[in-house]
Amino acid sequence: MKISRKWLQNYFDAPLPDAETIANAYTFHAFEIDEIQGDLLDVKVLPNRAADCLSHRGLAKELSAILNIPLKTDPLREILPASDVGTYHVPTSLAVKIEDPKKCLRYMGALVKGVKVGPSPDWLREALESVGQRSINNIVDATNYVMMNIGQPLHAFDAASLDSARDKKLAIKVRNAKEGEKITTLSGDEYELSPNIQLITDANADAPIALAGIKGGKAAELTDETTDVIVESANFDGTTTRRAAQALKLFTDASLRFQNRPSPELAAYGMREVLALITDIAGGEVAGVVDEYPAPASAPAPVSTSLARINGLLGSDFSREEVENVFKRLALPYTVVNDIFTVTPPFERTDITIPEDLVEEVGRIIGYDKIAPKELPVDNGAPDQSRFRGIERMKDQLVEQGFIEVSTQSFAPMGDVLLANPLDKNMPALRTSLESNVNDALARAKQYAPLVLAPNQKPKLFEVGTVFPKEGEYVELRMTERVPEWGDAAGTTDNLSVAKLEDYGKDYVPERYELGAYQPFSVYPFIVRDIAFWIYSAEGETPPGPDVEASKMEELIREHAGPLLVRLNLLDRFEKKGRVSYAFRLVFQSREKTLTDAEANETIEDISGALSQIGHEVR
Amino acid sequence: MTTPGRLHPITIAIREIADIFGRMGFGIAYGPELEDDWHNFTALNVPEDHPARDMQDTFWVKGEPGKVLRTHATSVTMRKLEEMAKSGMSGMRMINPGKVFRNEATDMTHEAQFYQLDGFAVGPTGSVTLAHLKGTFDRFYREYFGPNTKVRFRPSFFGFTEPSVEIDVWFEAPGRKGQWLEMAGAGMLHPNVIKNAGLDPEKTQGFAFGGGLERLLMVKYGIPDVRLFHSGDIRFNYAFEQKVRTSDVLTSEKSV
Repeated sequence: MKISRKWLQNYFDAPLPDAETIANAYTFHAFEIDEIQGDLLDVKVLPNRAADCLSHRGLAKELSAILNIPLKTDPLREILPASDVGTYHVPTSLAVKIEDPKKCLRYMGALVKGVKVGPSPDWLREALESVGQRSINNIVDATNYVMMNIGQPLHAFDAASLDSARDKKLAIKVRNAKEGEKITTLSGDEYELSPNIQLITDANADAPIALAGIKGGKAAELTDETTDVIVESANFDGTTTRRAAQALKLFTDASLRFQNRPSPELAAYGMREVLALITDIAGGEVAGVVDEYPAPASAPAPVSTSLARINGLLGSDFSREEVENVFKRLALPYTVVNDIFTVTPPFERTDITIPEDLVEEVGRIIGYDKIAPKELPVDNGAPDQSRFRGIERMKDQLVEQGFIEVSTQSFAPMGDVLLANPLDKNMPALRTSLESNVNDALARAKQYAPLVLAPNQKPKLFEVGTVFPKEGEYVELRMTERVPEWGDAAGTTDNLSVAKLEDYGKDYVPERYELGAYQPFSVYPFIVRDIAFWIYSAEGETPPGPDVEASKMEELIREHAGPLLVRLNLLDRFEKKGRVSYAFRLVFQSREKTLTDAEANETIEDISGALSQIGHEVR
Repeated sequence: MTTPGRLHPITIAIREIADIFGRMGFGIAYGPELEDDWHNFTALNVPEDHPARDMQDTFWVKGEPGKVLRTHATSVTMRKLEEMAKSGMSGMRMINPGKVFRNEATDMTHEAQFYQLDGFAVGPTGSVTLAHLKGTFDRFYREYFGPNTKVRFRPSFFGFTEPSVEIDVWFEAPGRKGQWLEMAGAGMLHPNVIKNAGLDPEKTQGFAFGGGLERLLMVKYGIPDVRLFHSGDIRFNYAFEQKVRTSDVLTSEKSV
């Protein structure tokens, strides 16, 4: 939800701190901030608060509680005009019908006559632009503004585009779409519908005018000539709206709000706000409001918790006053008797239903930084890691035998268990064995061996992973070859789910390794070259020991090999007739490109030249 | 003499993590990767129509409605809590490292299959608190990442915990400026979850946590791409300088 600091300021007399301070306040007490751009903040409202906080009003209220600065005004606490005796009367010229009250919980429709569609006043245009919205016209802007201000999605239809021929009465029906029925939305896109998508229709013409809770239709779009509008403030079921939006791949500000189930009570506040704004900036008169509300939402039930429970769950040491202060700052009506708090949530706080919800309010508003870390008390008895250690013991033995552990993908081209929705159509199944994966890895390992393994090291691999044959999943150990030390009975695979690994691992301490920083490897091919030479030793000079000698030779080669040398291994050393021979294997690779043979040869020549210059005899 | 092979970096990490948590009294638990709807969603207080249950986010099994590739290793927590209820134990601490699956497009930071380090600690009411969760992670990250590490909590939301928090870690990579990184989600187990396991939420409480394991390694070692982990490419094993650690003394592995 994008909000602007200036818009928020409307809710406060006291000047708000800068955007950075506001962002920190939200981050540590309510919601993460995705982005700050000047005075615009993109707030990542959590799912349990999306019913009331996808609005400037909701976020202003949070900020009021966090920073402890009072709200100047709260539109949701201002008493509504009573529908039967108040400002609005039921119009004789508009009827509303809901087909399925489980999918449309409330539908308020207002008829406003004599409006003048035109540009919005500057303040409204600027407010919308401050949160990245585009101004369209005064009526549409009014509906968007109120939605972003208090969270109620709204829509306005051109009344003249609805059929009123028969009895001069406009009629709206909320119903499921028919199979194959079509609608063109305001943006001009046509959608073919199915019955799980709910529509707003012109009942007289039986024609769709909007995708319920998602987007308006072209058929009843406002134009410059529009004088009478039907304003909708409704509540559509969250699941129905989400599934429809998903099926149509059309997620909108409205659908996002409905799928989080705001209270149907909010619709009346939305209607009041938008009618006041429309008549203010576009003129006209409210001819009346219809309110279809088949099963009015019951007021949220009071929730109780004790001071002991709060501190017992948080591990904190908060006082009764501190807790009371949280409820005051959040303006949650509460009573406290013998350290038991009873909170009666206002209608929009649909998230407060159990005692733990109150504990969370206390924890986050006071701040989790006020809870001192405690170490868990020492547990009696050693923790059970024996199965894990059994598996690790087996792995350690394999590593000792020269095996390298790999990890591969669980998806496979074929198998006994098929996915209903594979990510990759070529890998629709779960692996029944690790065999082909480790063999494939071995083929690649052989290719890379000169790069990472010693010249005498044979690539041998193993994997421990879950496999899914039709008999049921198990953890398989798979090796690319047998381990002779394990005896003749041992093959290249084992079912670790049935192996008695607990006893095997009970007293074993797995080998531990320390890794250095990751060193990226080049994706380009490498070239292997061997070099062999007789070394020169000056007459009468005592040769150094073989180790010192070898490292001196290595140093010499590295010095002249340049940056392309990625691996250098001593292949062999022998003495013959008082002369000493060395052979080294060199691996060349570039990080930027595929090396040519010529480049490798050139480097070898440089090295040979350098060796010869000292008197070594390259063979 | 045979030149030793090499373990996968994930194995090396899990051993280190198991050791740290082991010293805080945590065992290691396992569970199936092909889970039922109950342990992956319903018992964990994920409502019937939650978006996580959609095909868009979760892999479902063809012809077996109600079977999913687990989307988190919290399913193992659920199974262990059920065991606890059956056996009449009053407390338990476990970490559940294991592979999990998400139906999402892969890129440098997302994989459809990855490891999660999940876990929990429960005990009699009042004995395992949010302060203990903080203490546990304070210690874990300090031991895993180094003594300059700090931990902070931010409010969050998960169906199976209430209150819920996001755990951030202050990490200073060698030679780089320190920064706060989002590492795991956690919270106090929701009473519905405790009830669903067959335990009495009036008598039992505890915390649960979960976070990506690859992410821990990516941060610690500077690994740029999550897809390297499960590629079966041995160049990944050898992309690190490796030392053997014997009883807290590091010795350089004999160079090959």
